[in-house]
Amino acid sequence: MECRDLLKKLCSINAVIGREDAAAQAISGILSDYCDEVRVDAFYNVIGLRKGQGENPRNVLVSAHYDQIGLIVTGIDENGFLRFTNMGGVDPKTLAAMEVTVHGRRDLHGVIGSKPPHLIPPEDSDKPVKLEDMLIDIGYGAEQARELVSVGDVVSFRFPVLELKNNRMAGRSMDNRSSVAALVEMLKELERIRHRDNVYAVATVQEESGLVGAFMTSWNLKPDLAIAIDVCHGDMPDAPSDESFPLGKGVAIAVGPILSRKHTRACIKLARQEKIPYQIDAEEKDTGTEAAVYSSALEGIPTLLLSIPAKYMHTAVEMVSLDDIGAAARLAARYIAFRDELDQEGDSND
Amino acid sequence: MFDTISMLVNAFGPSGRENRVAEVVTQMIKDKVDEISSDAMGNLIAVKKGSGKKIMLAAHMDEIGLIITTIDDKGFLRFGTVGGVLPLISLGQRVVFENGLTGVVWYEESIESMKDAKIDKMYIDIGAKTREQARELVEIGDMAVFEGRPVEQNGLIISKALDDRVGCAILAELARRCPATDNEIYYVFTTQEEVGLRGARTAAYAIRPDLAIAIDVTRTGDTPKSKPGAVSLGEGPAIKVKDNSVIAHPRIRERLVDCARENGIPFQFEVVDKGGTDAGSIHITAGGIPSGGVSIPTRFIHSASEIVDIKDVENAARLLEAFIKF
Ligand SMILES: [Zn+2]
Repeated sequence: MECRDLLKKLCSINAVIGREDAAAQAISGILSDYCDEVRVDAFYNVIGLRKGQGENPRNVLVSAHYDQIGLIVTGIDENGFLRFTNMGGVDPKTLAAMEVTVHGRRDLHGVIGSKPPHLIPPEDSDKPVKLEDMLIDIGYGAEQARELVSVGDVVSFRFPVLELKNNRMAGRSMDNRSSVAALVEMLKELERIRHRDNVYAVATVQEESGLVGAFMTSWNLKPDLAIAIDVCHGDMPDAPSDESFPLGKGVAIAVGPILSRKHTRACIKLARQEKIPYQIDAEEKDTGTEAAVYSSALEGIPTLLLSIPAKYMHTAVEMVSLDDIGAAARLAARYIAFRDELDQEGDSND
Repeated sequence: MFDTISMLVNAFGPSGRENRVAEVVTQMIKDKVDEISSDAMGNLIAVKKGSGKKIMLAAHMDEIGLIITTIDDKGFLRFGTVGGVLPLISLGQRVVFENGLTGVVWYEESIESMKDAKIDKMYIDIGAKTREQARELVEIGDMAVFEGRPVEQNGLIISKALDDRVGCAILAELARRCPATDNEIYYVFTTQEEVGLRGARTAAYAIRPDLAIAIDVTRTGDTPKSKPGAVSLGEGPAIKVKDNSVIAHPRIRERLVDCARENGIPFQFEVVDKGGTDAGSIHITAGGIPSGGVSIPTRFIHSASEIVDIKDVENAARLLEAFIKF
């Protein structure tokens, strides 16, 4: 499958944080085309293994989380409207007039209602709407709504994937399905090159609420090297230039205190040699990604963080470039395969 | 059940000082379990042996409290908080130290508005006249807890420290009933929950259970002008969907729902944004331990007058009894 179609397929899967059980099989099916074995653990992390062809293979973990932000039902009112709260970082501003799917007894279409401007008193017109004041309308009255929906059911956003000019794609869940796409593209690339090491390609769960999948994955696989793939902020108007990266200009390689200096340097060197487009992402803190967990898991795992720039993060119109996904995939695959051949001069103090 | 709860809430036990609670629990259950021991964090771990699944039930022994930071020359004590103590709710409360000494929390009356009544504008009066006199009774680092003796009224229990002695009481009752099951049941009375879900982490690491349930309290939405959507007192124990520390494992949550339905036990769902439970640290320990929660609907959490409905407490015990038998 082409990357474009792969990404579309991945974005059509529903895996709201904590309910990845609904999606694990689909993800597992996609990974299994390029892995020697795939299993799903008790928390629905999907773990693919491509065995290394060399002697004494080491274990490399490459992960991309596949959970997505969404909503969760907290109550059903006397008129059948659903109250809700957020699952993960959702900006209430972006929710008004959104189409949603309520994953109740069966999947139900719904809309998040928004008061028409005519009915808003002028003194309230500038006031932001609070999450707790918003409601989902599924068209049913209370009795039917209560039969089909229960408190605790999750809600996903409905937004088709849009193909835009210049290899850009927009939609919900590009955070982090674009990285899952990169994971699969990396596996494809690895089919074409000989690699010594075992590669665990893992689609992880519950990253958006506490990096949960990363805790399990690092403990269970005990890798010698971990590569986390996630999205970073794409460059957009008003975004601070040091925290955002233009789309289509390549994979962002993170540099910072928690990341392995040796591997980061070598990775940048490889990108240059292989003419893989890249950008440098200086991360002064713990990065907020799974890399934070890996780097201090077990006895400490040398960790790399590769990011795909995504505009409008945590909205239903997140936008990425297929070119950046390709660059991330190529760099990860080639780094895994060729890292021992790189000249490692000057790395003694790592 | 009220007697069990009373004995437990009356024990002094702020975070890190849970040993008195552990003693009370030990006396209650030691004859009914196969092993009972404490670990380095002070967790009390009681085991009922079995050949089936290893199930960990966790309730925290610690309560919120105050810790003395300085003593002024007039003998007034300044304090910090241990766990989530709400400043305004502390005002006018009596507090008790481990040695039985009583103090009263008051505020600097020069503040302009009660909004400014932060912890650093408050003090504890123990009736000492000088620093020296105070230091004969307390030292910097000593902790105090709210006073709030248990009362049973109209089917409700009012007391301090129901968070989470009510959970401890449920576990103790359950252990005393010795439910017939092949599963190996770990009754774990944890420490330091209120300061970061800390005890449960090391207990889970040592036990490596197949699954775990945290038994704790959850806020209600049934008081005047409270936030809507939360659970109500007396409508049954709340099966956790999520809190701020954990999303319950879907299979555990479903199993709890099945157990409730099969046994005609009323239940509600808990979906909250704030607050965590021991399940939050257990589920990410040692490669992942599927975890869930059963919560007791509780009004006025973290005050000296928390309220639970005794029916909810009894139903929670029934629900857990059904759950550990599967
Ligand atoms: Zn508690």
